Amino acid sequence: MYETFEHTADLGIRASADTRQGLFAEMGLALFSVIVANLDEVRPVVRRTLRVEGQDPEYLLVDWLSELLYLYEHASYAASRIDVAFDADGMAAELAGEKLDAARHRREHEVKAVTYHELRVEQTSDGWMAEVILDI
Amino acid sequence: MKVANRFTGPLERAGDCCWRIPKSYKEGMRVDGLIYADDKLIELIRQDPAPEQVANVAFLPGIQTASLAMPDIHWGYGFCIGGVCATDPQEDGVISPGGVGYDINCGVRLLRSELEFDDVAPHMKQLVENLFQRVPTGTGRGGKYRFDRDQLRELMGDGPRFLARRDLATERDIEFTEAHGCLDGAQPDYVSERALDRGYDQCGTLGSGNHFLEVQVVDQVFDRQAADVMGLDERMVCVMIHSGSRGLGYQVCDDALRLLRGAPAKYGIQLPDRQLACAPIDSPEGEHYLGAMRAAANFAWCNRQLLMWQAREVFEATLGRPWGEMGMELVYDVAHNIAKCERHRVGEREKEVWVHRKGATRAFPPGHEELPEAYHEIGQPVLIPGDMGRASWVLVGQPGSMSESFGSACHGAGRVMSRTAAVKHARGRRIDDELATRGVVARARSWKGLAEEQPDAYKNVDLVVDVVHNAGLAKKVARLRPIGVIKG
Repeated sequence: MYETFEHTADLGIRASADTRQGLFAEMGLALFSVIVANLDEVRPVVRRTLRVEGQDPEYLLVDWLSELLYLYEHASYAASRIDVAFDADGMAAELAGEKLDAARHRREHEVKAVTYHELRVEQTSDGWMAEVILDI
Repeated sequence: MKVANRFTGPLERAGDCCWRIPKSYKEGMRVDGLIYADDKLIELIRQDPAPEQVANVAFLPGIQTASLAMPDIHWGYGFCIGGVCATDPQEDGVISPGGVGYDINCGVRLLRSELEFDDVAPHMKQLVENLFQRVPTGTGRGGKYRFDRDQLRELMGDGPRFLARRDLATERDIEFTEAHGCLDGAQPDYVSERALDRGYDQCGTLGSGNHFLEVQVVDQVFDRQAADVMGLDERMVCVMIHSGSRGLGYQVCDDALRLLRGAPAKYGIQLPDRQLACAPIDSPEGEHYLGAMRAAANFAWCNRQLLMWQAREVFEATLGRPWGEMGMELVYDVAHNIAKCERHRVGEREKEVWVHRKGATRAFPPGHEELPEAYHEIGQPVLIPGDMGRASWVLVGQPGSMSESFGSACHGAGRVMSRTAAVKHARGRRIDDELATRGVVARARSWKGLAEEQPDAYKNVDLVVDVVHNAGLAKKVARLRPIGVIKG
């Protein structure tokens, strides 16, 4: 489950999940939902895999979301399904989505970057939660 | 209207339009925080966590005099937006990419013309439509100018001179751009492949968020002499452009922050926010960032030059006259997200310091050696975009900016409503129709984008400008009202 939250100049994304891998997947979808207004119209037809190395969970989250942002900027690709798995060196992700098509997809925000300001990745009594502020 | 964490720390009156956060507020602050605001604006500023960020910036090693904030201050990431801080390399001063921001050399340029409102009024709808079709706006839209790796590196090394060689800039355009659009010491080789990927088709594109291209009319002149020198007069049509270094610059900042992750620990720097990551100016990490930052800044000046060039072409096509004949000359181009090495008096000594301006405009006074000759007597034009319904301003730098704010003034109106709150506030409304009733033709790629940027989301720019005028940082020259706007 993900949502956006208030920030004066920019926009925050927040997600929660039972597991850390679920959390990272939700945060990825949250990022794409800020870029594409109708993410539910993105068909999971093109598969891609990504690896991100790192140990610190917060830096890893920033790096993961930054990889997704680059993928969008560079290839106009957005994912509507994401699976994440952690391993000793970091994380691997399987994405399913497609190249955005102006006729079907409404692009909404240009995300400049994923910031470190008030960045949170936490284990809660119900599972996991994270917050990130995006520079818009 | 309010965001969750209102500032509850001390704000002591330090003058008619200045408020102090004493360095005793937090252990680790090296200097006071100083916020320029009148009694009305300070109440709005208290509703926002931005003053906490002013206090956090005061932790930076080598910071001089005070951590400053302009009246358009609002909550940013790390640094507040509207912040100014100067650091001295001789006192272990640091450079902080967060003090420049992701959008390196985001800035504003103003193009004047000899057209009067009545000349363009019958064509406004077509003019705005043509601008919207021809000038790339919004996310995911590349421009018509494409540069390969080698060309991009040359562009980042030379700034708009690179474009002049391709007949996309004039000598006069370059003369009236801050730093002639080219910071010395740019190191295009320090700009990553990924940044080049993001930038290759984005030079000459507007972007989204608060970036815009506006057609404006001079509404009122406050300083006739300065306005005459700049070629501005009542009813005259101008074009204001607000954009920065696009994906290339965002990536340069992102790369630098990754490189600096270990720097605070390596150099023994205590910081209250990771987004303030920094390194000593003369460290390898600091020098790497500065080389890449200057290259991205030069890219941004080329971006605004190409945006202006396209605007001239659209005016020509729509009105059927060459732009030179319509007197469409650049008044000035100024950066408001940048770090620059400048000479300033600190206490009894004049010295070189690194001035970080994060949402603050350089405001050099008359006689400053960096001004174009034509502006020596009046001071540097300070361009302050407001919101798209009310007004924007042209000011000129005053001596007070050198004695008080490291040669800086405000950069805009400053947000007062979060993006989420603005969208809620706009629910069920057509912002473009509302703007039309105010006499503004607006075109945008996204309804949400327009809702987030609606006039109510911003402070009244007139109040912000009053503060910098009354504080002696910059002087009012002319007020401009929007008549057409394109956005992402």
